[in-house]
Amino acid sequence: MTLFHFGNCFALAYFPYFITYKCSGLSEYNAFWRCVQAGATYLFVQLCKMLFLATFFPTWEGGAGVYDFVGEFMKATVDLADLLGLHLVMSRNAGKGEYKIMVAAMGWATAELVMSRCLPLWVGARGIEFDWKYIQMSFDSNISLAHYITMAAAVWMFTRYDLPKSFRLPVTVLVALCVYKAFLMELFVHVFLLGSWTVLLVKAVLTGAISLASLFLFVNLVHSS
Amino acid sequence: MFEEASEVFDNMFKSSFPLTFIVFIPAVLILVSPLPAEAAHEFTVYRMQQYDLQGQPYGTRNSILNTEARTMEADVLSRRCVLMRLADFSFDKYQKALRQSAGAVVIMLPKNMSAMPQDVLQQFMELEPDMLTTETIVPVYFAIEDDELLSIYTQTLTSSSSQGSLSAAEVLLHTATANGFQMVTSGAQSKAMGDWAITSLEGRLTGVGGEDLPTIVLVAHYDSFGVAPWLSYGADSNASGVSMLLELARLFSKLYTYKRTHAAYNLLFFVSGGGKFNYQGTKRWLEDNLDHTDASLLQDNVAFVMCLDTVGNGDSLHLHVSKPPKEGTPQSSLLKELEMVISSQYPEVKFSMVHKKINLADDMLAWEHERFGIRRLPAFTLSHLPSHRSVQRSSIMDVRSVPHVDVKRLGRNTKVVAEALARVIYNLTEKGAPGDLQIFTEQMVQEEQLSAVVEWLTAQPRAAQLVDKDSSVVSTLEYHLGRHLKDVKRHYVKADKRVKPAIFDLLLAVCIATYLGLMYLAIQVSGCESGLWLRYQLSACLQQQQPVCSSSSPSAAAARLQQLPCSERSISINSKAKLYFI
Repeated sequence: MTLFHFGNCFALAYFPYFITYKCSGLSEYNAFWRCVQAGATYLFVQLCKMLFLATFFPTWEGGAGVYDFVGEFMKATVDLADLLGLHLVMSRNAGKGEYKIMVAAMGWATAELVMSRCLPLWVGARGIEFDWKYIQMSFDSNISLAHYITMAAAVWMFTRYDLPKSFRLPVTVLVALCVYKAFLMELFVHVFLLGSWTVLLVKAVLTGAISLASLFLFVNLVHSS
Repeated sequence: MFEEASEVFDNMFKSSFPLTFIVFIPAVLILVSPLPAEAAHEFTVYRMQQYDLQGQPYGTRNSILNTEARTMEADVLSRRCVLMRLADFSFDKYQKALRQSAGAVVIMLPKNMSAMPQDVLQQFMELEPDMLTTETIVPVYFAIEDDELLSIYTQTLTSSSSQGSLSAAEVLLHTATANGFQMVTSGAQSKAMGDWAITSLEGRLTGVGGEDLPTIVLVAHYDSFGVAPWLSYGADSNASGVSMLLELARLFSKLYTYKRTHAAYNLLFFVSGGGKFNYQGTKRWLEDNLDHTDASLLQDNVAFVMCLDTVGNGDSLHLHVSKPPKEGTPQSSLLKELEMVISSQYPEVKFSMVHKKINLADDMLAWEHERFGIRRLPAFTLSHLPSHRSVQRSSIMDVRSVPHVDVKRLGRNTKVVAEALARVIYNLTEKGAPGDLQIFTEQMVQEEQLSAVVEWLTAQPRAAQLVDKDSSVVSTLEYHLGRHLKDVKRHYVKADKRVKPAIFDLLLAVCIATYLGLMYLAIQVSGCESGLWLRYQLSACLQQQQPVCSSSSPSAAAARLQQLPCSERSISINSKAKLYFI
C-alpha cells in the first residue's frame, strides 16, 4: 500500500501546517492570499540566492573527504537573504505583530513544503521499496515550520524601534542562530558522524531551544510594551 | 570585374580602420589557418561499472558527458573531459584528475593488448579494484584506440601542454584560434536496473543403487567481472571453469550410460550466475534447496562440493578449503586422489591445499566454496591461483589470448580432475588400482571441445549486468547441459526489495495520527496560553483606560471572558481582538 505510505508522509508533513493555520486564527482574517503572497516572495528570494551562489561561489576543488568550513560558512551567509525576504513580507502586511509574524512564517514555510518536499514524497514514497527517509523528511518539515515562525519573530523583534537595550543582544544572537542553524547542523553531522534519526533529534532540540528563547523574548516584549 | 574588385578594396582602405580589420583579417586567417575543421568522430566508449553491494557503492555514478577534452598536462582540468592513454595511466594521475573536479575521464586502451608490456598490464589490473572503490561522481569511460582517436589525443595533448608556457597574449590568441574537441555522449543518465534476474543452471546424473546415494556437486560460475562490464570477457575467470565443467559433464554422462560403469554416486552440476557479486546465484540456490524445499539432493548425503575457478593456466593447482578435511571423509579421499594422480601422472604440476578460514566480516567472500561452507556442506575450490586476492580474477585484461588461457594446460587440468573424481566414485584406490592407471585416455578429454567452449564464452562480455534470463549465453549453456545431463533446470535470483507489510503502514498511520492529535492539543493549549496572556493584557489595558480598548462595559466583558471554557475563550478573544487588530 504505497500510496498509503505517501498519504502517511503527506499527512505528517502537512497537518501541522493546517492545524497551525486554523488555530492561530489566521483563517479568520482571510489571510490566505497574504500567505500565498509570502510564498511567492519565498520563491523569488530562493531564485535570487541560487543565482548569487552560482555566480559568485566557485566550485570547491578539494578532496572528497575534506569539509570546506569556510566555503560552507560563506554559503550560509547568503541565507541572510531569507531574513530580508521575511522582513519584506512583514513590512507589507499591516497589522499587529503576531499577525504579521504568522502570515509571513506560514506562507514561507508552506512554500518551502510544496517546493522542496512534495515532489520527493510523491515520487519516492509511492515506490514499492520502503525507506525511512520519507518519514524523516516529513518530520523535518514540521521542524522547519517551527524554525520559520521563530525566524519571523526574531526578525520582527530585530526591526522594532522600541526594542529595549537589554533585548538587543539576545535578539541579534537569535537571528544569527536562525541563519546559521543549517550550517551548524552540517558541522555536527560531519564532526560527530551522526545517524539520520539522531540528526533529526538534534535538529528538533536545537529548533525547540531557539523557538522557546524567541517566544520568551517575544512575550516579554509584547507584555512590556 | 577587376575594376569593381579594386574599387571595393579602395573603399575598404579609405573607410575607417575597424571595417578593414573586420573584413580583411578574417580573410587572411581563413587562408592561413593550418588545421581544417574536424568533422564529428564517433567512437564507442564503455562505462565503468556502477553497483551497490551490501550497501557499499562502487564505481562511477554518472554517465552523461558534454565537455571539452584535455589531457593531464593541462593546467585547468575542472569540468573538462580528461583523456588518458593506458601507457601513461597511473592511479596518482587518475586521483589528481578527480581531485581537480574533472568533468569526466576517458581512458584509451590499445587495440592489441598483448603488444603492451606486461608490467603496464599488471599495474592496470592491480588498479582496477581501487578505481572501483574510489567514490566517483564523474563518468569514467574506456575506449579502444583507433587512428582518429589517437590523432584527437595528440592534438589535444599539444594544445594542453602548450597552455602553461605561453604568455597571456598568446593564450588569448590560442583560445580564439586553436582547435578544441568537445566530447558528447549519446544516451541517458544511468539508472538502477530493477527486476534483473540472475540465472543459474543445474543438471544431474543420478547414480545407480537405490535411495540415499551420496552426492557430489560440481560448481562453476559463468559470469565475468572487470572495471567496465562490456569489456569483461573473463577468459580464465571463469570461462575456463565452465568449459571444464561441461567437459566433465560430458565424460561422466558417457560413463553413466553404461550399466557397468554406472557408479553409486549422484552427480549434480551447477553453473551459477552472479558469481562475481559475492556468489549470489549460489547463495539463493542453497537457500531454496535447503530451506524451502522438502526433498533435495543437497539436503541428504553430500559427499563434497567442488568449485572450479580459474583453472585455465598455470603449472600449479591449489585446493582451497575452509576446513582441512578430516580423515575418512570423502573430501579427504578426493584430496588424496588428487595428490596421487598428480604425483604419478603429472609430476610437473605443483599441488597444494590452501587452508583459509571463512571470515564473515569481510565484504566479499573469498571463493565460491565458502557459500557452501557457511551452510555446513563440505566444499573446496580448485584454482591455479594461490590466493583469492589475485587481481586476475576480476580484470578486463583477462581475455582469450595466451597469458590467461592455455588450452593444453586447461586440458591437462581437466584430465587431472576427471581422473581424481573417477577414482573416488569407483573407489579405485581401495580396490588396489595403481596411481598411474589412466582411466581417461588422451583422446577422451577433448581439447577441441574445451577450446571451442572457451572461444565461444570469451567472444562476448558476460558481466552479470549483461546476462539476463533471455540471453544467448544462458540458453546455449542450458542446451549444452541438456545434451549430457538430466533434469536441467533454471534458477532465478532477483534483487530483494525491502517491502514492508501492509500492517506496518497501518501502524505508522496510527502513530502519525497520535502525534498529530498531540500536536493539535498542544497548539490548542498554547493558544489558550497566549490567549491568557492577551487577556491579561486586555484586562490591564481595560483597567488603565487605554484609548485602544473597546467601548463595551469593561468589567462585564472581563467577567464574561472568565466564565468561558478555554477553547471558546480563545475564539472570543480573537473575535474581540479583530477590533483591535485593524
